[in-house]
Amino acid sequence: MSIRTIQVHLGIGACLVALFLILYGIPNWVSSPSNVRKIILSPLFWPYTIAGLTGLVGLGLIVFGRGPDDDDTPVNDPIEDPGAGMMRLAAMAVLMMVTFWAMPRIGMVWASMGAFAALAFLVRTRHPKIALTCAVLVPLVLYAFFAHVASVAIPQGNYVRLP
Amino acid sequence: MSLLDSIMAGFALVGNFNAFLSLAIGIVIGVIGGAIPGISATMAVALALPFTFPMQPINGILLLLGVYKGGIFGGSIPAILIKTPGTPASSATILDGHPMAERGEAGRALGMALWASCTADIISNLSLILFAGWLASFALNFGPPEFFALMLFSLTIIAGVSGDSLLRGALSALLGLLLATIGLDLVYGTNRFTFGDPSLMGGLNFIAVLIGLFAIPEVINMVWHPTGHIGKVQSLGSKWVTFADYKRCFRSIVRGSFIGVFLGSIPGIGAAPAAFLSYSEARRKSPNKANFGKGEIEGVAASEAGNNGVAGATLIPLLALGVPGDVITAIIIGAFMVHGLQPGPMMFVMNVDIIYGLFIGLIFSSGLLLIVGSLAIRGFRPVADIPKRILMPCVLVLCIYGVFAVNNNIFDVGVMFVMGWVGFVMSRYHIPAAPFLIAFILGPLLEDNFRQAMLMSGGSPEILLRGPITWFFWALTVITVVAISRGTLNKAREAG
Repeated sequence: MSIRTIQVHLGIGACLVALFLILYGIPNWVSSPSNVRKIILSPLFWPYTIAGLTGLVGLGLIVFGRGPDDDDTPVNDPIEDPGAGMMRLAAMAVLMMVTFWAMPRIGMVWASMGAFAALAFLVRTRHPKIALTCAVLVPLVLYAFFAHVASVAIPQGNYVRLP
Repeated sequence: MSLLDSIMAGFALVGNFNAFLSLAIGIVIGVIGGAIPGISATMAVALALPFTFPMQPINGILLLLGVYKGGIFGGSIPAILIKTPGTPASSATILDGHPMAERGEAGRALGMALWASCTADIISNLSLILFAGWLASFALNFGPPEFFALMLFSLTIIAGVSGDSLLRGALSALLGLLLATIGLDLVYGTNRFTFGDPSLMGGLNFIAVLIGLFAIPEVINMVWHPTGHIGKVQSLGSKWVTFADYKRCFRSIVRGSFIGVFLGSIPGIGAAPAAFLSYSEARRKSPNKANFGKGEIEGVAASEAGNNGVAGATLIPLLALGVPGDVITAIIIGAFMVHGLQPGPMMFVMNVDIIYGLFIGLIFSSGLLLIVGSLAIRGFRPVADIPKRILMPCVLVLCIYGVFAVNNNIFDVGVMFVMGWVGFVMSRYHIPAAPFLIAFILGPLLEDNFRQAMLMSGGSPEILLRGPITWFFWALTVITVVAISRGTLNKAREAG
């Protein structure tokens, strides 16, 4: 994607977001007392202003981004296999969701140990033994600091509890 | 309280081992963080922030300031050794630092970077001490209309951190302003974008947003392109910087320091432009101008003086007006808030001991930076060798613990993850993250002061122009907007 294409895509996206906010988002998700005399004092004023400005910036991006695209140079570094890259990103999203779900259930220490090891293998580490050692040690050290020095109640989960 | 009393109160606060240890640890973390490409001083400050929660406010803030100062210097190490700036501020250092490394003078370049950094740091700290108090006493006359005008002017700093497209910067800032509206309304207490979830009623957690925006995208980027970071480290060489080198570059160092102080005290300019301006001034005035870009030590000195001159000066608007001078001070403002402190003119009245404690700590930080930096230059290689594919999982786990620790709330970890994806998409679409963060911080202040002013006047906008202070900031805003528009149009014309 060239920078002009990015600019146009962003502009269209910004206009759509602005329209969505003005027509649906703000009327439904922002509540305002009925006795506000002036719109300028209403809780709706600021979100509407921001949505309007977003639309204007979107239009600006479209205007400055259109026209012949002389420079096709991709603006992002190309990677060897974009398909595999997308798969890794999907796996990362799943990893984050699983970690978020697991933290209150099995405890933050165990969940982060799993997240560390999974991420290290997802990025194809060349040092699997070091990665596994760090996956165990780093969450334990952080637990020791936050739980015993900073007195933060780190979630322990329902199964194995740490001292 | 007299000046002497204030200084004594400051000494009482920082005159202990813990304060200096915090500062030293901060500098060590900063140098290491800045020296690892992909971590950057910003990310190092963000990652260190949660560790300051259990500390005394002064020790925690000193630690973060140490990380900031160490990080700016640390960025020069990979810039010189592997042609990769550890921080954007070190970009100008590459121009002459790396050619020096290529001819086996990396140690000399790093030594000069350190000396120039420490000199600029001292000048910057002294400027902070001289000007912050004066500015704060002036700001005590501010009411909501004046603060609104100031915040509006501060939002123009977004132009300085927007990179190559002002419109993309503006879009980023609007996204930040929009997310800042989430939560209960400031005046009426009604819901805004909370979807009935109590976790959203207090708004999005600032730390979760900033860590999500700055640290997590690096992790996701590593997942997208696991081998994108691979580079080659140069040797330090046997040649070291001499006092004669320092003496020869002294003029450029002092000039660069003052350029850094001037640009740093204007919110939003940042260290990178200061480094480039200092570099170009040094080149213009130097008798060796032909050597610039080919490994001229004066070029390294000027760049590093420029970017380190900014470090103390960005605290002038932070402490005096409560306006962050750059992205890192925007993060440091979080540390003040977590400890129940609100930077701004009232802090000079309510917490004068902390202000003077910080000043004293900052003066010592320059000396500590010299010691830590000298050791770091020799000891950096093993740190640089930490495989990035081990480092990034460490960063992820650190972020999870750090964000959870702010409010003991797992929801914040979820916010961080989501913001991480937002930050990643923004980076792929070349939308700068800094305007988002600055708008996210300033947005509630802007709205709050605007609505308070409107309540004071019964809805009449005339109050926004009620006196010389508001006129001054409105004039500055108009001048800045005109200058930005002209610059943008000229750039567009040049691009054809």
